[in-house]
Amino acid sequence: MRLLRALAVALFVLALSALGGCATPTGAGRDAPALHRTERARDDLIKAAQQVLVERCLAGRGLSSKADADADAGERREGGRDDAADRRLQGALFGRGRTELSVTLATGYTVRAHTDGCLAAAQRELYGDERRWFRAEVVVNNLRAEARLRLKDDPDHRAAHGRWLHCVTLDHGPRPERPAPAVVARCDRESGLDEVRARLEPALLNQVRAERRDQLTTYRQLRTRALHRAADLYAERTVPENREKGSTPS
Amino acid sequence: MIIKRFAVSAAAAVLALSGGLALASPAGAASCPSGEFCVWENANFGGQRANWSGDDGWWESWIADTDSSWANHGISGPGIKDHVRVYEDAYRGGDMTICLSPGQEVGYNGVANDRGDSHTWAMNC
Repeated sequence: MRLLRALAVALFVLALSALGGCATPTGAGRDAPALHRTERARDDLIKAAQQVLVERCLAGRGLSSKADADADAGERREGGRDDAADRRLQGALFGRGRTELSVTLATGYTVRAHTDGCLAAAQRELYGDERRWFRAEVVVNNLRAEARLRLKDDPDHRAAHGRWLHCVTLDHGPRPERPAPAVVARCDRESGLDEVRARLEPALLNQVRAERRDQLTTYRQLRTRALHRAADLYAERTVPENREKGSTPS
Repeated sequence: MIIKRFAVSAAAAVLALSGGLALASPAGAASCPSGEFCVWENANFGGQRANWSGDDGWWESWIADTDSSWANHGISGPGIKDHVRVYEDAYRGGDMTICLSPGQEVGYNGVANDRGDSHTWAMNC
């Protein structure tokens, strides 16, 4: 448990270090201008806070996700927990039974999530309104997919995609199992698909963004809320630790 | 069908090295190993399941263009790629059909059914 707490604090410090600031723990959530330096830094801070909240929640259920998170991608399954233990973790982390959250996108997908897992609890703590956050996040995450769907209606794109399919299957019969990435890259270029996408996608994406302005606004507002909450959590954790350190005899 | 089943068996051996394959129950929550992205051949997380902790530029033939439901059980952390982007062609080609954050799942989609060919993990969508 001490190791986990130390790791969590280290992650917070790492995230704040990445911001390039000497963030003052007390009141950092409201006052630190460095929090807004880069999108990556904001992501890292929120993810670090979410990770701490999730681990705290899981610890209350006698579980931890750390074995998977710390392992390299290739080692996760072999070096991970057994199936029964992983099913317990899945339920505790992501939720059980029927999903409570649902949003249907313009692309036709109905994306769902649970509200009873530790991940949902952490997001409630950070974003405040999990339903609004879920809806806004799903919509904003798929703006590009929505733009790409509209791209399909363009005759230039349809023609280029037809040429692309012909290009990758030309030497391999009906459908190649795994064409080399170099072949795919060449076909992207030679079919004109790259050029068509580059020409049409920006305008379509702007169009989609304008139509989803409300969800984009909600997304930004709730992310800002989460950022401040993450910084406050950091302050709450580091101030007692610093006091503790100061009183510990060496 | 026989050919397809044979392909599934062969794919199982291959995926033992690079990914995973399991027979999933369609009832209840999506059963997908923590830390992984899962794709099922049937709607509502039924039938054979493929799962990956990393990227795959062209899914095995038994699941490529036969995908019907999807779940992201990635585990988040600072600097960790935890979002999954699914593409309709190999090596992130074609359109990105869906992007899922950890804990998000899709039981079925009539438009995208049997269309996925590749996916990649990313910091965001």
